[in-house]
Amino acid sequence: MALTLALLILLDLTLIAFILARPAHLATAAGRVLAFVALFLLPGVAVSRGLSLHLHESKTTSFCLSCHVMAPYGRSLRVDNADSLPASHFQNRRIHRDEACYTCHTSYAMFGDLRAKLGGLRHLYVNYLGTIPDEIELYRPYNNRECLHCHAGARSFEESELHLDEREALASNETSCLECHDVAHDLAAAQRTDTLWKEPGS
Amino acid sequence: VRRLQRTLEGRIRVAGRLIAAGLVVQLGTLFWNHALSFILFTSVGALLTSAGVLLYLHTLATRPPSELGGEVP
Repeated sequence: MALTLALLILLDLTLIAFILARPAHLATAAGRVLAFVALFLLPGVAVSRGLSLHLHESKTTSFCLSCHVMAPYGRSLRVDNADSLPASHFQNRRIHRDEACYTCHTSYAMFGDLRAKLGGLRHLYVNYLGTIPDEIELYRPYNNRECLHCHAGARSFEESELHLDEREALASNETSCLECHDVAHDLAAAQRTDTLWKEPGS
Repeated sequence: VRRLQRTLEGRIRVAGRLIAAGLVVQLGTLFWNHALSFILFTSVGALLTSAGVLLYLHTLATRPPSELGGEVP
């Protein structure tokens, strides 16, 4: 899609160059149609498709990890620790590896996407213009809803006796999933870069 | 009328340059997967392109009826 959009932009730039070089053509009907296409239609398509592409790109793991401060969290996806939630989800393909951060750190409620984008803008502001806190924390306690979005109904979750006993409490957030699954990002293990898991063939 | 036409042409030239500058920025951000590319795209690329498109539309909307045919007497 990026390549198609790039070709469209190059085509539009060529048309604009032609219009700027031969403004006399604007007096003809064909010239006016050309100007309408080059100065309205194609730029409109370029902006709307470009925005859509960038919004999609902003969900990718590489996008989140492009800020230096996120590097340890990126490495924590590859630590050799089966108890680490991000690592076990990432390495066992329980989530799309290309959208690892977004999958777990987006609210699955209404406007969750929008809230994530606004949060991303805030992160950018803090990263480049503000002060990055020494310890990065979530804005609010992690909601079980984001876990249950995938795990509710899954056999491994439903047949676990511990989960059965806590079913109501988990649904109401009275008990957090993280009370038992308490290794979120294993940043200590992520420091030991020589032991990080690598995808086969990478 | 000639003066008017020159003004219209001038505006369209400015619109074309704004759009071209915006598109070049957009092109640059397409293949750069970085958090800043999104900001560059929206705050520079899309803004310049939109300004150019709006100027072009404004030029079309405000041109006098005598200009519709494009003929210069």
